[in-house]
Amino acid sequence: MSAPSLREVAEQVGVSPPTLRRWLKAGLIPQYNGGWTPAARSEARVVARLRARGHSLEEIREAQHSGRLAFSYIEDLLPESRGQLTLDQAAADTGLEPALIERMYTTMGFSAASLEHISDEDLQLLRYAAAVLAAGFPLVAFLQLLRVYGQALAQIADAEVRLFHLYVHEPLMRDGVPGLEMAEEMEELARELLPLSSPFMDHAHQRFLAHFVEQDVIGHMETDLEDDLGQLYVAIAFADLAGYTKLTEELGDETAVDAVERFVEAVELTLPEDARVIKTLGDEAMVVGPDVGALTGWAVGFQTMYQEERPLPRIGIHAGKTLYRDGDYYGREVNQAARVAARAAGGEVLVTRPVVEAGPDYLEFERIGDVRLKGFSEPTELFLARAARAREG
Amino acid sequence: MIDRVFTMMSEDPSMGPQLREADVPQRFEFDDLDLVVNIRAAQAGETTNLHWEWTDDVDWSPKVRMKMSSEVANRYFQGKENVALAIARRRIKTGGDIKAALALIPITKPVFAQYRDMLAAEYPHLQV
Repeated sequence: MSAPSLREVAEQVGVSPPTLRRWLKAGLIPQYNGGWTPAARSEARVVARLRARGHSLEEIREAQHSGRLAFSYIEDLLPESRGQLTLDQAAADTGLEPALIERMYTTMGFSAASLEHISDEDLQLLRYAAAVLAAGFPLVAFLQLLRVYGQALAQIADAEVRLFHLYVHEPLMRDGVPGLEMAEEMEELARELLPLSSPFMDHAHQRFLAHFVEQDVIGHMETDLEDDLGQLYVAIAFADLAGYTKLTEELGDETAVDAVERFVEAVELTLPEDARVIKTLGDEAMVVGPDVGALTGWAVGFQTMYQEERPLPRIGIHAGKTLYRDGDYYGREVNQAARVAARAAGGEVLVTRPVVEAGPDYLEFERIGDVRLKGFSEPTELFLARAARAREG
Repeated sequence: MIDRVFTMMSEDPSMGPQLREADVPQRFEFDDLDLVVNIRAAQAGETTNLHWEWTDDVDWSPKVRMKMSSEVANRYFQGKENVALAIARRRIKTGGDIKAALALIPITKPVFAQYRDMLAAEYPHLQV
């Protein structure tokens, strides 16, 4: 395939040919060496973007010189996202309604504008979606799955770019490596890393699938089918570090974040097989598990392990019917669990009546009283959970 | 039996060097057998990755202490005993730098499968 002409590149970049010529003359596209290589086209795209955001030619030249734009060359290693197919053509090919394709796109988090330029890879993605629906997977569930895919994959891509930037690009800039050399070095590294990313994720996905299929089989054996569709009876635990804000102020963000990372890692390493961390927010981890007794036992054991550490964790647990949506758990019971945790002191496991009733005999529960939790009109009966003293020795 | 487990860890090309690098001296007490073992990372000049002695009379101090019965240890090395739940049930008692001990969990996980294979081949009555 021959290299594109200046006119074609100008069209791809979205500027007029004279403008592109002016940028060349001004030395804004140092990769242009008489031909429009992928690297030169990538530079032109970046210049166009920066000009659209109001940056002067001088600012762009300076940024290029210092290597701040070096990351842009990596774009060329990725498939072209702008295609030639229209929404109607994609609908005709896949048999999906245009409105449904639009909904899938927005659910995944793709921009609505990209529907005007569907690529061959996008079309293949839509064919997979059509096949999933044709196989009989309910649309309501598939849309939730798409949202989870979109959010999780966007977070992965964002992390890949940010971590590459923080640990590869910035150190090169600090070392004063010249712009072009830096770009070449980064492109070489990215060229080696990118092909590893998809197989890595694919394998991790298969492993997680195997784990959760196993858990689901066990779950079906141990629960009845009384729950409403989309609702699950689970134990919900919220765990965080008491005095985290003070820790941040006293020791600085980095030390505090290290403490949180170690804490969340410790939670993940010690949880019962069927429980998992659903999400983390700051120093707080939300854990859900189908076995109320096991999760409560874990919490008590975890606090015992952590009793000599500072800051101390605090854990609140509640159990009830939750709405499972988009890979997360919602509803009143989840809010209540969060409020219970907020009432716990460092080192404590606070629980509600449904947890006590499911509690294993190796635990004991001390009634604290009826407490009015924030946002709840009725008081909630709270208990302190701990290892049963009678079993000691 | 525990000697075999420690040997598996020490000689494993993945676990051994990682445990040596982690350098977390541990003391295990098996109360039903009245046995104590202290284990540490190998020092310069030692050819193995781990070094252990069945006594408290050692010239190093453990960073982590764990006390359990041999039955719990057998379940643990088969991957059938959750540490946090075992602590809540008072089946395992711990002390010291538990964070350091937790960091060893992912490193030592491969020993579960090796231990289960060994039991299946040589001690099927100990399988749980």
